[in-house]
Amino acid sequence: MKKYILFLLPLVAFVGLLVFLYQGLFSDPRAHKSSLLEHTMPAFSLPDLMQTERQYSAEVFNGKVTLLNVWGVWCITCAIELPYLTQLQQEGKHIVGLYYDQDIDPDFGIKTVSRVQQEVTQKLSQLGNPYAFNIFDVKRDLSLDLGVTGAPETFLIDQHGRIRLHHIGDLNPRVWKNKFEVLYQELVAEQ
Amino acid sequence: MKAMSRLVCLLLGLQLAFTSVATEEKYPFENAQQRSLFMELSKELRCPKCQNQNLADSDAMIAADLKRKVHELVLAGNDKDQVISYMKQRYGDFVYYQPPVNSMTIWLWLLPALFIVLALAALVMSRKKVSVSLDAQQQQKINELLERDK
Repeated sequence: MKKYILFLLPLVAFVGLLVFLYQGLFSDPRAHKSSLLEHTMPAFSLPDLMQTERQYSAEVFNGKVTLLNVWGVWCITCAIELPYLTQLQQEGKHIVGLYYDQDIDPDFGIKTVSRVQQEVTQKLSQLGNPYAFNIFDVKRDLSLDLGVTGAPETFLIDQHGRIRLHHIGDLNPRVWKNKFEVLYQELVAEQ
Repeated sequence: MKAMSRLVCLLLGLQLAFTSVATEEKYPFENAQQRSLFMELSKELRCPKCQNQNLADSDAMIAADLKRKVHELVLAGNDKDQVISYMKQRYGDFVYYQPPVNSMTIWLWLLPALFIVLALAALVMSRKKVSVSLDAQQQQKINELLERDK
């Protein structure tokens, strides 16, 4: 009996280590849980990208299940994701854009707003426009409050304005099926 | 030759002077304490986009944004813990290089200690067995052999 234990113990330890390291091969080091899940949207007051005199606040997300998509024209992956988002929008999903620009450095202010609008209009007419409207995160303050690390990222927000899902990276049919669909249907049913 | 080395020294000196001026302009502070706190934080906070760079090291836009935020918070009179918890609220524990001790990370400390204890226990147990595993017959044989060697 004792002998068996002595023989098995290293084997068990080795297999355990093997499983642990094997999992590590396929885990995404960038995946970490958003600390804002189940929280309501942080307060903000930001202009519409196209009509800057119009202001939005966190209440804009109340009453409707929303996909909040963080993007920019400079972001290549966003361009790849736009046609699929447009398809989702055509299926009846409410998609709001959170737009931020790389070249508008709050310290310097290089690009004018009209130039940004022009680029956005051009990009959306080429690849499809999934957005009900775009919130212009001028100084990237809301992005920072949301824990955004880059673009594209997508948040699923429920009808009470609570963040239910935070996805880093592009949205595609596989991600939608594996990560979004079930929760989205649940939230819509609650509505 | 001497003039040459003097010139080099002068140029180096000038360059140093200008770089220090440049950094002061980018993140101005009211006192040295704030500056050192800012430096400390930008070394200990991790860039959320890049895998292993701190804020000071990273050129990612998010790192620049976070540095600006840290600067803002330090100027507003927040202490180190307040800035760190502000960042953790938004970017999770990942953003700070010192992980908190919780039910998951406690194993990082417990496992090595547990291993040492187990190894010592195994060592002691195996020692004991050697000393008691002689029966009378074997003992007699040993004594004979020892006698013969004398």
